[in-house]
Amino acid sequence: MRARVVVTGLGVVSPIGIGISDFWKAALAGQSGISAISSFDPFPMEGYRSKVAGQVRDFAVERFIDSVQGERVDRYAQFGLVAAKEALADSGLQMAKENPHRVGVIVGAGMGGMVMGEREITQLYQQHKPHRVHPNFIPAITLNSASGIIAMAHGAKGPNLTISTACSSSAHALGQALHCIREGRADVVIVVGADASITPLVFAGFCSLRALSSKYNDNPEKASRPFDRLRDGFVMGEGAGTLILESASHAKKRKARVYAEIAGYAATNEAYHMVIPREDGLEVAHTMKLALADAGLTPAQVDYINAHATSTTIGDAVEVKAIRQLFKSRADKITISATKSLIGHTLGAAGAIGGIASVLALHTGKIHPTANYDDPDPACALAGLSRSAQERRVKVALLNAFGFGSNNAAVVFKQATAEGRRSKG
Amino acid sequence: MATDPTISLKIRTALAEYLKRDPDQILVAQHLRDDLGLDSMAVIELLYRIEEAFDLQIPDHDLAGMTTVGHVVSYVEKRLGKSAPAAPIKKSGKSLKATKPAKQSKPSKPKSKKKS
Repeated sequence: MRARVVVTGLGVVSPIGIGISDFWKAALAGQSGISAISSFDPFPMEGYRSKVAGQVRDFAVERFIDSVQGERVDRYAQFGLVAAKEALADSGLQMAKENPHRVGVIVGAGMGGMVMGEREITQLYQQHKPHRVHPNFIPAITLNSASGIIAMAHGAKGPNLTISTACSSSAHALGQALHCIREGRADVVIVVGADASITPLVFAGFCSLRALSSKYNDNPEKASRPFDRLRDGFVMGEGAGTLILESASHAKKRKARVYAEIAGYAATNEAYHMVIPREDGLEVAHTMKLALADAGLTPAQVDYINAHATSTTIGDAVEVKAIRQLFKSRADKITISATKSLIGHTLGAAGAIGGIASVLALHTGKIHPTANYDDPDPACALAGLSRSAQERRVKVALLNAFGFGSNNAAVVFKQATAEGRRSKG
Repeated sequence: MATDPTISLKIRTALAEYLKRDPDQILVAQHLRDDLGLDSMAVIELLYRIEEAFDLQIPDHDLAGMTTVGHVVSYVEKRLGKSAPAAPIKKSGKSLKATKPAKQSKPSKPKSKKKS
């Protein structure tokens, strides 16, 4: 029998709070983390179509990380370090007691070290001084800088991978970690999703794609509105989420508190278009179905869906169409929420942060609101969506994540059985 | 409505280059998606070329309703404040201030067709 895998620790850096306690409190209150971008210092926002984002404000890595390591990596990896530190502490795992080769790190990141990347490129092109390119430029922009620095910070010598599939990156990180532990290649995997690319060039690129909301520049908290009739594109966010995954037997042996079991995962590709989803929703429905089958569950058992729901016109409609195809009459009995309505789209971090919301829904029986779901779009309306927090005993939760490149992922969490659970704490 | 021949030709030429066709095969009555096969991303790429060619910044909410070649031509004419004959095309690189998005928010929707 394959190993069961459980979630034993959580950590987060988000636009609505650094730390799980602040994040969850703000999420349940429906607090928006979306605000105006004042400037891309030293130049103004005037030429940008969108001027709002879910920014992590007043973040200083030295407040959280003692080591100088934190200052040598880019902002996204700093977020990852902070979220990983919290999650490890939350899990009670003591690395000194672990076989370090049995602890892995898998990071999902869509963009990587763009803060330093853009700065160095700009300086080189303006000043033509190649000898002034920072010696840390290459290590910082290399996409596995976060998975590397997190391993170094905690002495995790097991499998170390970075997965980059745009906005579904960390959902795949969760899935690959599940496989890794199931296959017996690790006892514990620190799963991180991280991105911090609200930077002049990346933000301009998303504006040029006409993917971002531009109607609510004067009312930022209203800009991210998944499933609402007046949505007009996604809002960029930044942050990191960490989930500690470990085999149920390992968690039991060390008497760890178990939040939930991660029970299923599916990865597919629509082989259709770089940025546009198939409008029939068939591939999304297929992906959710595969993940449930992997978990040994049926659509009839799902209580909660943490939707990908970026607030784009077609993306939200396709996801609902797929949910209706797969769940049929049960579609309106499932509780649904869109974490991006609160924090924007954190790209590579989105799967992990959505995973945290899913795990907390299972663990606490509370589901955060979908902000700005004021006027349900008939193409997207589902009875289980609400702009208020909801309470429900959730036994099975499904996480959706889709990315550019026609990429789809779905992850299934379920309530931990009594045997692995130490307390509800 | 009569279209400005210079603006029209420039837009049809941009489309022809994008589609690798002869400009004569591009007609103002053609539908961007149904006749020319442009998906939403291709329309955005086309508008990117047109913004450069005419030194314009086209706000997202102006995309709604731009479904034919003629709509694009009319839109550019309107934005340039011209009807035939066309004035010389401005070179790009000027301040974007003059073409700042107009504040005419329509409740109907800019189609953001991205997956993200």
